[in-house]
Amino acid sequence: MLVDLIQNTLDGLTAGAAYALLAIGFTLIFGVLRRINLSYGPAIMLGCYAATWFHVQFQVGLLVLAALTLAATVLAGAYVERLCFAPHRDRSAIAAMVASFAIWMQLEELATLVLPNHLYAFPALYEGGPLSLGPFTLRAEALVMFAVTVLACLALQRLLYRSRFGLSVRAVIDQPVAARLVGINLPWVFVRVFAVASALGAVAGYLIVASAGQVTPMLGMWSTLKGMLAMMLGGLGSLPGAIVGGLALGLIEAHSQWFFGPQVRDLTAYFLLFALLALRPSGLWTTPRHG
Amino acid sequence: MDDYVTGVLTNIGLFSFLALSAYLLLIAGEMSFGQQAFFGVGAYSGGILTAIYGLPLPVAALVAMLLGSLCAFLVGLPTLRLRGLYFAMATLAAAEMARILFELFRFQRQIGGELVGPDGTQGFRGIRWVFERGVEPAGYLALVWGLLLIALVVFLLMERSRLGATLRAIGEDPDLARSCGISVERFKLGVAAAAGALAALGGVLFAHHNTYIEPRNFDIMLGVHSLAYALIGGLGTAFGPLLGVMVDLGVLEGSRVFQGYRMIAFGGLVAILLIFRPRGLLDEKVVHWLRARFS
Repeated sequence: MLVDLIQNTLDGLTAGAAYALLAIGFTLIFGVLRRINLSYGPAIMLGCYAATWFHVQFQVGLLVLAALTLAATVLAGAYVERLCFAPHRDRSAIAAMVASFAIWMQLEELATLVLPNHLYAFPALYEGGPLSLGPFTLRAEALVMFAVTVLACLALQRLLYRSRFGLSVRAVIDQPVAARLVGINLPWVFVRVFAVASALGAVAGYLIVASAGQVTPMLGMWSTLKGMLAMMLGGLGSLPGAIVGGLALGLIEAHSQWFFGPQVRDLTAYFLLFALLALRPSGLWTTPRHG
Repeated sequence: MDDYVTGVLTNIGLFSFLALSAYLLLIAGEMSFGQQAFFGVGAYSGGILTAIYGLPLPVAALVAMLLGSLCAFLVGLPTLRLRGLYFAMATLAAAEMARILFELFRFQRQIGGELVGPDGTQGFRGIRWVFERGVEPAGYLALVWGLLLIALVVFLLMERSRLGATLRAIGEDPDLARSCGISVERFKLGVAAAAGALAALGGVLFAHHNTYIEPRNFDIMLGVHSLAYALIGGLGTAFGPLLGVMVDLGVLEGSRVFQGYRMIAFGGLVAILLIFRPRGLLDEKVVHWLRARFS
């Protein structure tokens, strides 16, 4: 029993690391633009599909695949920004959200036109079996996932707090009007935030499909929903919140799945989201914010 | 009229109920990602009442509408004070909960030697009330469009009344509306309940048209489509959502020109349309212009 509990916790944290990465990208866009980008997951999916297509055609290596995923996702992200967010910058958040949904359908159909089967193999990060630590098992991919998530968080922290670009991003988050007044080029900040968020999403997506060893058309919706859930659990627009929310979501899912099965797992996650919104819409982990 | 055209027209009618449901909330300033849940509640409850309990369709439809509006009221109670994106997220979570509950829902009875009723992810077969009474596809089409016409007339009357003005005032600026003495929360709850009933009616008709429903029918894709229909068609008049459904189901799917590329065409169309007409084709300005012109 205790062994199972600890094993579930380990599995939950592994899944949670991926959720956290997804949520960071999501929350970065929300924090800066105050918009929800439903196309976030589908852009990641398109990136992974592009890499898979190259793998099917040319049998390229892991690093090349990672680079391809990154490039294609950032490109798709830029397309989403130009079409859904740039034109609605000073207008309705609702219109931007619905537009991002429209582009979701485009990206998803595009991906499934290129690779029409339901399932494609994706080269695994590590071919051997899981590592065993006493009674527990841990997949090698999980360690990679953790290491990459920590590295990505540190890199983002450096970018946001040690660079001029980061300073302008934080200025836009805290006081958009004042940021514009002091001469920050808002459109340019938005584009670059989108690129950074898409890159983070691409890293998450690559690790997820490489751990699973396959890509399916569910990836887009899955990434958007998990990223959004984790972001909401941690509080909209808060970066530390996104990490906590991702890990919490992973833990909740792992434990509720073990106790009650997969359907109740998803039910629990949605119920938590609903209850949190109804009772504490500012999130569990938020700093006071203005505007 | 061949069966294909009848089928497309019936579908346009069915999904118009859902689009109208999303539209009703949109003009009151709320964007719901969860109307598909009430569509599903209507489909399941209506199907159970006719297929298992043998009630006539009109009675089943009435009960389903009541149930749909009750569910919408209960979801609206804790969520309608949330604003904008938060409300959208909360309704999305509620609708996905409903979909998973449909997956867990098993309620089968022996009817005439076979098991009838919802069977979790296997879906709900044999909602044959309409089929067994020998209603022709054209007859069902007339029923669906007749009910839709009634709904549209109610909408048009409502929008010309004080109630319509109140709803638009709330949608435009809830704080200003409140300061004019409008009880914003109560109106919004009423709107949510009415929208739930409308979606449930669409659901009952959908279930009896298809004779088979499954939880996947009521996923988030359906909800966002209904929102998109209302937004493409326009928020100026209740004909807007109808136009939105026609553009998607009629022109893009029905014409079969974009076969295989329908989502690429529809998605691009919606995104571009939203840039130039953020409140849809038939927005308030166009409607005012048309009204001044033709009345």
